[in-house]
Amino acid sequence: MIEKFLVWLEEKFMPPMARLAEQRHLKAVRDGVISTLPLIIVGSFFIILAQPPVEALQELVAPYVGDIMIPFRMTVGLMSVYAAYGMGYSLARSYKLDGVSGGVLSLATFLMMNVPLNVDGVLNEAMEAGIEGADPIGFVLPMGNLGGAGMFTAILSMIVAVEIMRFMTVRNFTLTMPEQVPDSVARSFEALFPATVVIVFAWIVRVMLGFDINELMMSIFSPLIEISGNNYFGVMLPVLLVTVLWAAGIHGMSVIGSVMRPAWLVMLDANIEAVADGGAMTFGEGGLPYIAPEPFYQWYVWVGGAGATLALAILLVFSKSAYLKQVGKFSIIPGLFNINEPMIFGAPIVMNPILAIPFILAPVVTTTISYFAVYFGLVSGLTIMAPWTLPAPIGAWMASGGSFAALLLVLINIAVALGIYYPFFKVYEKKMIEEENAEIQEKQKKQATRETVTA
Amino acid sequence: MKVLMVCSGGMSSAIVVKSLKQEAERQGVDLDIKAVGTGEFEEEVKNNYDYALVAPQVKHRFKDYQVSADAVGVPCELIPPRGYTPLGAPSLIKQIQAGVK
Repeated sequence: MIEKFLVWLEEKFMPPMARLAEQRHLKAVRDGVISTLPLIIVGSFFIILAQPPVEALQELVAPYVGDIMIPFRMTVGLMSVYAAYGMGYSLARSYKLDGVSGGVLSLATFLMMNVPLNVDGVLNEAMEAGIEGADPIGFVLPMGNLGGAGMFTAILSMIVAVEIMRFMTVRNFTLTMPEQVPDSVARSFEALFPATVVIVFAWIVRVMLGFDINELMMSIFSPLIEISGNNYFGVMLPVLLVTVLWAAGIHGMSVIGSVMRPAWLVMLDANIEAVADGGAMTFGEGGLPYIAPEPFYQWYVWVGGAGATLALAILLVFSKSAYLKQVGKFSIIPGLFNINEPMIFGAPIVMNPILAIPFILAPVVTTTISYFAVYFGLVSGLTIMAPWTLPAPIGAWMASGGSFAALLLVLINIAVALGIYYPFFKVYEKKMIEEENAEIQEKQKKQATRETVTA
Repeated sequence: MKVLMVCSGGMSSAIVVKSLKQEAERQGVDLDIKAVGTGEFEEEVKNNYDYALVAPQVKHRFKDYQVSADAVGVPCELIPPRGYTPLGAPSLIKQIQAGVK
């Protein structure tokens, strides 16, 4: 039955999922969002300086929290700005259009969805009241919708801008320069007509008609984010999809991550924002708004890579089967750094009716444990994006802002995963040893016949 | 032979590449091989490669890679699942040698 399920996965379930992830616009979202990750990683780390895990240090830095958090505000707090450019670049490139023009148009459209304010009137009152630092500053752009909250607006802006650009290029509604004009100059003129249309369109929608896209997008997507961030089944769904896809042999995270990562970043931004505003590091009222941004899966669930396979790698190292022991030897070190493809294809786990079961089951159980541990505030929630190749206990400690309970949770999850993998490993090991013995006997028999022939 | 290998992030392929290099050295095969992530493939494949290999876990993107490789006339093939481990290095070297010719 399990074999049938795996075949069904490979033939029926995987192709449409893979096609979805490779869909042009989703791919642009993936590329754009991934291009912001280095900034998110660096920016999110400043929360650890603003909220150090040691209480004495907290008091010391308290007066400077505003200054400390500026790199966070300029990276995570503006993530949709960077993403808008990256996504536009990628989508334009996929149409064989100029990437930079596509990125710039997408970014401009996204910014046009936000209305700058002139707060000098307010500041004047403050100046008259003698408040320090209150000088007229001209127009300011509110940052509230430029971070995670603007992500879905950025996606929409990118699609609208680049599709208009493509439509006009295909229909030749562009200004073509004589041949003598250098390429780079010609390119900037080519983008002129699309830019005019895109900007005027955005201006009419946002300013003339006063249509608040940000509000609309958030009202559509915030219920979905609430479910995938805090509902038990919503948190579990990506775990099941990722492991099931891997069991059929394709990179589950690269498929599911394309779709989920914008939402995970929105959650991460909201979590950091809550801590920056002086909230607690645990989930719940007065603390973090979301249980499961990406680091939740990365550190608490995917210990050793998708499928929580560090546990299996440990079992393989001590296997009595010569082959499995070999697989364990080359898997254990990469496994510590959450790289498990050689083991997934080597053991193999892919299309293997025995090992596929714990590969799906173990993460389901550790997700459940972790979900409730975060839900009840037994461990800190996740506020920091640490590089995914760190060993999980260290990564979890960092990503939770220096919580030792988080580190302990990872160790518990490894132990639980060991328990779940063990019986399946034993069954598979027995099968492998039988095959290995049969092979040896076969060889000996051949040798014996050869000897009789020569004799 | 100059070979390019692509996976999702360029991490796991780096592990396979390392074992391939060792195996090639052992066999005395001339092999210049590099691993990249999905995003870098289209540009990197333009640098005079003889052959391109696609990791099994990104087989759903095989067509995309093939288009980029075809554009510069580089033969492009999928690595069979069991070949994508350090133990699969000998068979993978055979695949490369057959594919380059």
